[in-house]
Amino acid sequence: MGTLAQSPSNSAGLEELLAKAQAARSSIIDMAARETGCHIGGSLSVIDLLIGAYAKFHQDADTAIVLSKGHSAAALYAVLYQYGILSDDPAASYGGAESLFTGHPNPKLPGIPFATGSLGHGVAYAAGWALGQKLRRTSGIGIAIGGDGELQEGLCWETAQLVQAKGITNFIYVVDCNGGQNDGLLADISPLPNLRERFVAFGFQVKEIDGHDLEQIIAALEPDGEKPLAILAHTVKGKGVAAIEGNPHAHYAKISEKIALKWKRGLQ
Amino acid sequence: MSSLAAREAYKDELTKLAADHTNIICLEADLGGKEHPFQQSYPDRFFNLGIAELASVDIAAGLSKAGFVPFFSTFASFAALRAAESVKLALGYMGENIKIVAAYGGVSGGWFGTTHHCLEDIAVIQSFQNIRIACPHGEAETRRVVQEAAASSEPYYIRLARNDKFDSLARDEQGSCRELLFEGTVRSDAPLCLVSIGEQATELCSRIYQENALVNHAHLCYVDRDSLKRYKAELQAAAETFLVVEEHRAAGGTASSLSLLLPESRVYSHDCGEEWPIYGGSHADVLHYLGFGYEALTRQIAELGGNSDDI
Repeated sequence: MGTLAQSPSNSAGLEELLAKAQAARSSIIDMAARETGCHIGGSLSVIDLLIGAYAKFHQDADTAIVLSKGHSAAALYAVLYQYGILSDDPAASYGGAESLFTGHPNPKLPGIPFATGSLGHGVAYAAGWALGQKLRRTSGIGIAIGGDGELQEGLCWETAQLVQAKGITNFIYVVDCNGGQNDGLLADISPLPNLRERFVAFGFQVKEIDGHDLEQIIAALEPDGEKPLAILAHTVKGKGVAAIEGNPHAHYAKISEKIALKWKRGLQ
Repeated sequence: MSSLAAREAYKDELTKLAADHTNIICLEADLGGKEHPFQQSYPDRFFNLGIAELASVDIAAGLSKAGFVPFFSTFASFAALRAAESVKLALGYMGENIKIVAAYGGVSGGWFGTTHHCLEDIAVIQSFQNIRIACPHGEAETRRVVQEAAASSEPYYIRLARNDKFDSLARDEQGSCRELLFEGTVRSDAPLCLVSIGEQATELCSRIYQENALVNHAHLCYVDRDSLKRYKAELQAAAETFLVVEEHRAAGGTASSLSLLLPESRVYSHDCGEEWPIYGGSHADVLHYLGFGYEALTRQIAELGGNSDDI
């Protein structure tokens, strides 16, 4: 099992994580205020999941964390910056010319093991990493953080099939269930009925959590060693910014600096 | 002793290499056949990942990052076309140390039909850059390419055919398949140099060379952009006119790459044209339908002034 680098079991630890999450949200808002704008809705929904995963595993060299829903790169950059894995502030140059902070995770940056963004690939990559750790007999884990919209890609289910078939039990698939996708709500475009039952049928242990509760997140990131683990993390698109919370049209946004200031002041 | 078909040579050679290279992992997509020798010798490092080509290539990327050398084998059509995006990302862009071994290249699938043919793979893979592309001819060359792939940290795409058995052209014991191979002595006054890629093309060109020693015959095993650049000077010294023989579409084939590399030369192509094969038959039958073969090639050579009668 991976090293528990930072436990939220004490209130000081939890406060620190909450502060990181708040700072990362602020950074995402700043990235949305740059010329390019950013995928703000899904970045804000996934931020606590990333904070929790990195809190628990970022010092464990045998564990890989892969953001498969790569359009939320702004969140990944913000979190890597909070943990000191990135030394440059992503909000200072996001999307700009000669900036490595591209709109989808740039593997030329430290801490980003694979080029994701085209959906589903990060899930299979993490499974391959997990298989490698299993063969090496380490305690490392492959963790894919994906989205519920991403589950419309067949590649995710190809991977789920293989993970159970090959007994890759050191694999965690965290699904950021924010209910939205690029053009609207999953429920309107291609819903995912019986999602828990689907993962169970694919041989996964399934946990459902509040994807904004850091204590729940960190507690959930523990495979049982018997089955691969799917964490269905219920989140809110745009979480933290009242003006866009739950709004499916907030998938991508470019905002003014004035709005950014207002949203940062109002961060919940 | 008769030769092994390239697919069998690959499996046998990889199994031998795995004894000393404990990082080699053998991945199959349910098309490796029963009693795979690697599985029998190293079951812990053999995975039939089933019919899941994209996931298999991405899983190979994760294994590579974890320090393994995965060899992933399936048919060319599924490797180069179905899994194209995974190949682009994992091999081309990320440069992961993955070796794809693609059988059923060209129309070697014969009567299985168009879904099991692949006349587009070189174009697709070469467009991703940074991937070594090898099209070995015969058992010895296939074995050596597999050895070279295992020893290299570069991503590889190795195109094989189906079950035909050929003896490779002779190479120096210490030579690499990355070296351009001329059959026999290079004639300085040759009006034409045949350039062969892959098994059927090399067999054809070798036959014609034996019958008409006035042409030169250069055999290329590696056809990625970097390898082709290395061949430039040697090719230019061999002739001014080239006829590239390749079981592939003209678009994106090696002739098109060479024509860009050799702007002062005349580069022609003997390829599989633009038709979709619609009939059954053997590998040779399908090639004949597509206008690829001995008669058509000799006619083309004559049109280019490369027949001995014309010199």
